[in-house]
Amino acid sequence: MKQENIKVLVVDDEEDFANTLAQRLKLRDLKVDTAYDGEQALSKLKEMEHDVIVLDLKMPGMHGMEVLQEIKKDYPDIQVIVLTGHGTDKEEEEARRLGGFDFLQKPADIDTLERRIKAAFKEKCARTI
Amino acid sequence: MDNKNEQDLRFLQLRFIGKILAGFTHEIKNHLAIVKESAGLMGDMIKMGKTAENESQYLEIIQSIEEQIERALVHFTYLNRFSHRMDTSLSTFNINESIEELTALLHRFANQKRIRIEKDFQKDLNPINSNPSMLQFLVFNFLEEAIAKLDKNSRIVVKTEVMNGSVAIRVIPEGNVLESDAEKVLCPPEITDYVIKMLNGNISRQGEGAVITLPVKAA
Repeated sequence: MKQENIKVLVVDDEEDFANTLAQRLKLRDLKVDTAYDGEQALSKLKEMEHDVIVLDLKMPGMHGMEVLQEIKKDYPDIQVIVLTGHGTDKEEEEARRLGGFDFLQKPADIDTLERRIKAAFKEKCARTI
Repeated sequence: MDNKNEQDLRFLQLRFIGKILAGFTHEIKNHLAIVKESAGLMGDMIKMGKTAENESQYLEIIQSIEEQIERALVHFTYLNRFSHRMDTSLSTFNINESIEELTALLHRFANQKRIRIEKDFQKDLNPINSNPSMLQFLVFNFLEEAIAKLDKNSRIVVKTEVMNGSVAIRVIPEGNVLESDAEKVLCPPEITDYVIKMLNGNISRQGEGAVITLPVKAA
């Protein structure tokens, strides 16, 4: 599995956070794009399919759960990792019920996030074979 | 009756403080997450030997860290002032400042629905002598109710002015009211009436909004 083939979309309304995280993931040879709200994320997916979405929950406009639901409805193979600063057990349960691949607390350790992205990509590949 | 109101008021005040703290910690956690990622990015670049050629990028990252810390400090200042308003039940304070602080601490909740809270403050308001935390509690309840009822992309105007020897604080929701939430009442009117009586003021409800008037007792 070539890591540079993994297309990741980081979705977070905190632009500085999304951009900095994207830069760190790019330094790890991932192909990374950013979106600053749910609507923008869904429109980016229409332009280009991504493999893994790193998704915040509390965003203006569409809540992350709604975005997750929309993604899984239209692109069931895309894997979604929820990365939130305020995740509760109930939200984690809900995210997994909606098909989320993983649920991490923000800020996450970058190596852990990279490992989870790779695992999510592996899952996506297994589903599409 | 007063005993029941007192009990309900305590519960609602705790709820108010909890909500303010939730918004505050959300804000601060975000700033800290950006600072952590920014420091991590510099660490990544150093480990990868990308130092000399990226001097300007380092300076940008350092600037971003400083900005995040500044933004977090502003919120700490607001929370600190908010907390100290509960030190005494009566003090002399500037209404505009107390509402500014409250709206800043509530900004994130409104922003979730892309609702803008706009301030239209009369600039030369004299300080008043009253209970600042109770006043914030009242304004909070009307703002929270408006945020719950309004559709996305609406706005709420908070206006202060001197009117007939009193200070009036108007909370004016502007936008579509969600039908399902039209009847939503988060704080029962008997509690807001109970509080305004303690402050020797008056509340008049106007549509989805409200006007709180307080006597001017100049310090």
